[in-house]
Amino acid sequence: MWGERVRQPLRRRNGKPESVSWDEALDHIAGRLKALIGAGKPVGVLGSPRATNEENYLAGKLARAGLQTNNVDFSYHSICGPLFAGLEEVWGEHTPTASLCDIASSQAILLLEGNLAETHPRAASSVIKAVENGAHLVTIGFRSTQMARRSSLHLQTTPGNEREVINGVLAAILDQQSEDPTRVAARGEGYEALWQDVRSVKRTDELRQAAEWIARAERATFLLACSDGQGDQPREVAAAFATLAAITGHLDRPGSGLLPLLARSNVRGACDMGVIPERLPGYDPLDDERARQRLQNLWGKKLPLDRGWGAENLLQSVSGLIVVADDPPSVVPMGRRAMDAMAGIEFLVVLDAFVTPTVRIAHAVLPIASFAETEGTLTNMEGRVQKLRTATNPPGEARMGWRVLAELCARFDIGNSYTSATDVLCEIAQAAPRYAGIEQRLSEDGWGGALLEDFDSAKFVVRPAGATRGAALASAGRPHVLVRDVAFDWGRDPLVSFSPTLSRDYQSERKLFPNGFVEMCKGDADALNLGGGRHVRLASVHGDAVVPIRVRADLKPGVLSVPYAFRDQVASVLGTDSVTAVNVEPP
Amino acid sequence: MNDAFLPDVARLVNVSDETPDTKTFTLRFRDLKNGGDFHFLPGQFLELSVFGYGEAPFCIASSPTRPQTLETTVRRTGQLTDALHRLGNGEEVGIRGPFGNGFDVEVARGKDLLFVAGGIGLPPLRSLIWNVLDERSRFGKVTILYGARTPTDLVYKRELEEWGKRSDVELHVTVDAAQPGWTGKVGVVPSLFKKVTLHPESTLAYVCGPPIMIRIAVQDLLALGFKEEAVISTLERMMQCGIGKCNHCAIGHRYVCRDGPVFNYGQIRELVE
Amino acid sequence: MAFAIEKRAITKWLQMLLESGEVIAPVRGPCGDILFSTIHSPEQVAWNFQNPLPPPKQFVLPQTDPLVTIKRNGERYEVAPTYDDTRRILFNVRSCDAKGIAFLTRMYEMEPADASYLRRANNLTIISLACNIPCPLGFCVCTGSGPFLSDSYDVQLTDLGESYLVEVGSEKGEAVVSGVPNLFRPATEDEVSQRKRLETEAKNHFEQETCHFASAMRRISTGRVQDALWEKMSDWCLECGGCNMVCPTCYCFSVKDLGRDGTWIRCRMWDSCQYAAFTLEASGHNPRAHRKERMKRRFFHKVSAQYYQRDAMVGCVGCGRCIKVCLGATNMPAVVGAIRKGKWNE
Repeated sequence: MWGERVRQPLRRRNGKPESVSWDEALDHIAGRLKALIGAGKPVGVLGSPRATNEENYLAGKLARAGLQTNNVDFSYHSICGPLFAGLEEVWGEHTPTASLCDIASSQAILLLEGNLAETHPRAASSVIKAVENGAHLVTIGFRSTQMARRSSLHLQTTPGNEREVINGVLAAILDQQSEDPTRVAARGEGYEALWQDVRSVKRTDELRQAAEWIARAERATFLLACSDGQGDQPREVAAAFATLAAITGHLDRPGSGLLPLLARSNVRGACDMGVIPERLPGYDPLDDERARQRLQNLWGKKLPLDRGWGAENLLQSVSGLIVVADDPPSVVPMGRRAMDAMAGIEFLVVLDAFVTPTVRIAHAVLPIASFAETEGTLTNMEGRVQKLRTATNPPGEARMGWRVLAELCARFDIGNSYTSATDVLCEIAQAAPRYAGIEQRLSEDGWGGALLEDFDSAKFVVRPAGATRGAALASAGRPHVLVRDVAFDWGRDPLVSFSPTLSRDYQSERKLFPNGFVEMCKGDADALNLGGGRHVRLASVHGDAVVPIRVRADLKPGVLSVPYAFRDQVASVLGTDSVTAVNVEPP
Repeated sequence: MNDAFLPDVARLVNVSDETPDTKTFTLRFRDLKNGGDFHFLPGQFLELSVFGYGEAPFCIASSPTRPQTLETTVRRTGQLTDALHRLGNGEEVGIRGPFGNGFDVEVARGKDLLFVAGGIGLPPLRSLIWNVLDERSRFGKVTILYGARTPTDLVYKRELEEWGKRSDVELHVTVDAAQPGWTGKVGVVPSLFKKVTLHPESTLAYVCGPPIMIRIAVQDLLALGFKEEAVISTLERMMQCGIGKCNHCAIGHRYVCRDGPVFNYGQIRELVE
Repeated sequence: MAFAIEKRAITKWLQMLLESGEVIAPVRGPCGDILFSTIHSPEQVAWNFQNPLPPPKQFVLPQTDPLVTIKRNGERYEVAPTYDDTRRILFNVRSCDAKGIAFLTRMYEMEPADASYLRRANNLTIISLACNIPCPLGFCVCTGSGPFLSDSYDVQLTDLGESYLVEVGSEKGEAVVSGVPNLFRPATEDEVSQRKRLETEAKNHFEQETCHFASAMRRISTGRVQDALWEKMSDWCLECGGCNMVCPTCYCFSVKDLGRDGTWIRCRMWDSCQYAAFTLEASGHNPRAHRKERMKRRFFHKVSAQYYQRDAMVGCVGCGRCIKVCLGATNMPAVVGAIRKGKWNE
């Protein structure tokens, strides 16, 4: 009852899962996949930010060298990918330039957030320490969150117009720099064009104050949460944010920098291990000759060149799929439709420690160890590689994930004689140049792990500000805005759902509202003559839905939000958008 | 030293439906760890284990004057109560207790007693009601005011009929919303106050039910002249240990499992949330 | 009557203790950090150390504490209590931690008593080491729990340089110093005065000052702390529950049956009153749904006169761990100071 663990290898026979031996399971899986490949059907592999670097690396190796496909991704990538793309546009890297310690010693912090205290308590802790020491905290967001209440200045947005606000700060910064050329910390290519772009942006006192604090600070950190907005928006917001950091000279100054706030333990690691269709291990582009050569030599196999599918397409298009430590429908924006898509996969293999909905529909299940039972490394959002040490044994016949993937690799003739997770790490060090020497550094270090030397270039490109006035979403006929909340719903994480104490917390909302809810402020609820628990009809250009409401104190009038976990309930209203104008009325 | 967390094993000897989501379970101990009878006061509660699901507190709905029949009435609200509802006669559960302070029966002797209950608030009062009715001559006038949302939601339907027929009990039953076939009163429970003659100076009022009903009923009783000490209720809180240690049911420095669940209104007002 | 033991004789004493039961002491781990652990040889004991973040309360109140085993046997269930009668000696705990365990014992002795806890506590002997130099974050002077104790220990050691003063505080303490006549001798007058002097010096040495307990207690107990202040303070809390885990006097717990397939172990597990669902009822109603309400609850429990009168002890031992562990800024001195002043220090 307290969280089902997967204990045995399972194989679905006549619609029912049966326990089988490890050898039978592995042989069966290799056989089915080979058959699909032989028949020319597409196959793919999904890694995970819950998996270790070793697991992700071997998953990617299995896919590219073994299955000869670049259909490799991880479900959270659709959310963090645009953020990395935005950063790369500015300084050519997807990596952070600040660490958690830098936050704590900052004099100014600019935070673009969903709800930091809930999504990243460790980073929030650093922010609190900085504020306690007198730092100026400027928050940007549509919620009046805990961090916003503690800020020196909160720049209020409505969902979708974050770019406007950032442009406003950019404009104020540029004003300062033009008044006092000594304050121009750095000019990148494109600086002049940016100046022109923001000419028409309205400068308010608030924006000027924020700019002043950031410019005057010797150490300033820029914290950016992943937003899963629509189209190019998330990438552009990230690029604009990074530009701000760059032109104020804080990108590469010691103690300053930008830190993207990623969810889960190993997003950065998953990217570095190349479980992304267009990236190889080391995060090199798929068509980078040197990288291809390096890997082909290391793996002893030629690598396919055709670009692969990303996660959401993968789920809908492959005939065979291996999923490592993930439950895609709970992560990808398409939600329940992902489950429907996966039902159409001919052969679905899942490696996981817990029985997730994905495990329940799999044709073959391989039990792996959880974080407390495995060896391996994780790379956090700072770029810090940390070791996992086994604390206890996995239940039943579950094995360490890296071992299981190595066995699968062996059945595709790309084995290696790994005797430990460290052996895998040593190979990773050869595959991903940033990780060179990592095993040595980790064995010397105590508990602190090893920070990858990431940022070494001061060159950056200033992105244009783009449209400085976002088209207003709301209209007379649809005066409210419904936004899909980005605050990552960690309540679906099996380690939370199955923890006796923590699960009570997260399940409290589900019990009252088993079919989800949308949130609005009290003013809006009163205007509709409704209390919490009552239903509303939401109507957008895409369609409508009837859902219960909850009153939430941190929302402003006119803004409704739906927790990420309940996005399916309003799928007909949102369509493929993450924010849309709606009409709200009693049902 | 007693092992406070060790349950006794009991068997279900009867399960009856009260409403679509509420059942009354009659329990008999398989082997009591102390070997003796199970002694309890009306108003006390049990920690009932559904093995494999966990434990939860439920008030004892039967009277100590009938020790052979230990009963509890449970509404299905979550995983554990769901599992309990799926058990049948002969199946085993665990029991710890009795816990709590219970109703002070001695102080009620000779007085007029007013019972005001709503919905699932009747079970805790029922243990006291039957205690009083089984020793009827030792108490004054007995008035029972009870209501539920609909006729289907009334619990102890047969007993209500029985009480209604007694000449030594004044019973009024109401529902918020009638259903076809209902010939009784319609209205909220506090609306029944005007139907009875009350002597606040010699009456103890026992109030149990949904928070909003309790609030209104208490307000009305105080307005009618009842003293705070004469208005008695039971509080409910999330509980785990039942022995005043885990702190889940603490309100200020009072523990609902130990200093309650029975409190008079004066005590309730003093509680520090 | 105080005793003394030469430092060079400690090893022999520890060897004797190791033969009489499980000995737990502060031990320096491979990465240099200190943890209370079971030792197997006298050399493992650390003597000059900063108090580790986890207190020794887990040795009387384990984080996951098995209480009852439940086995399904066909149609029947068999239940049995689990017993932990292990004889343990806590060696070299600091005054605050000794006082912390005494506090926990007071809680679990109260009627109805908890046999499972008391079995461990009754079989535990506490040998504490007084603090000549208080730790940087401690404020035990304000809570009457250090740097030297006058009660709540079985044996209290004071480092006098060449020897330790040995004060016996109970029968259990008597038992561990008797039977080894060559190791302990009566303390000299000089040694006794030196101990007194060390205590005075230590008391004068505090960096962290929070002697606002009395006035904070008055305000909390009479409901004079503004709701707006709790709201503001709660914004500096991240609800991690760290304070509850490291606090020597925190003892909230949940009870769960862990297991599957007909065999379960009913366990007590540490819980945190700061977690959102701590008071969540099955109906979905939550009397403390807001963080500020839970924070108010925590400090009422620790600092109110109502509890002080009930327990005859303050609910805080001034160990300073909550200052170290807090992810936010809501440690005991900060909150107590704010309550006394009526405003949060910003």
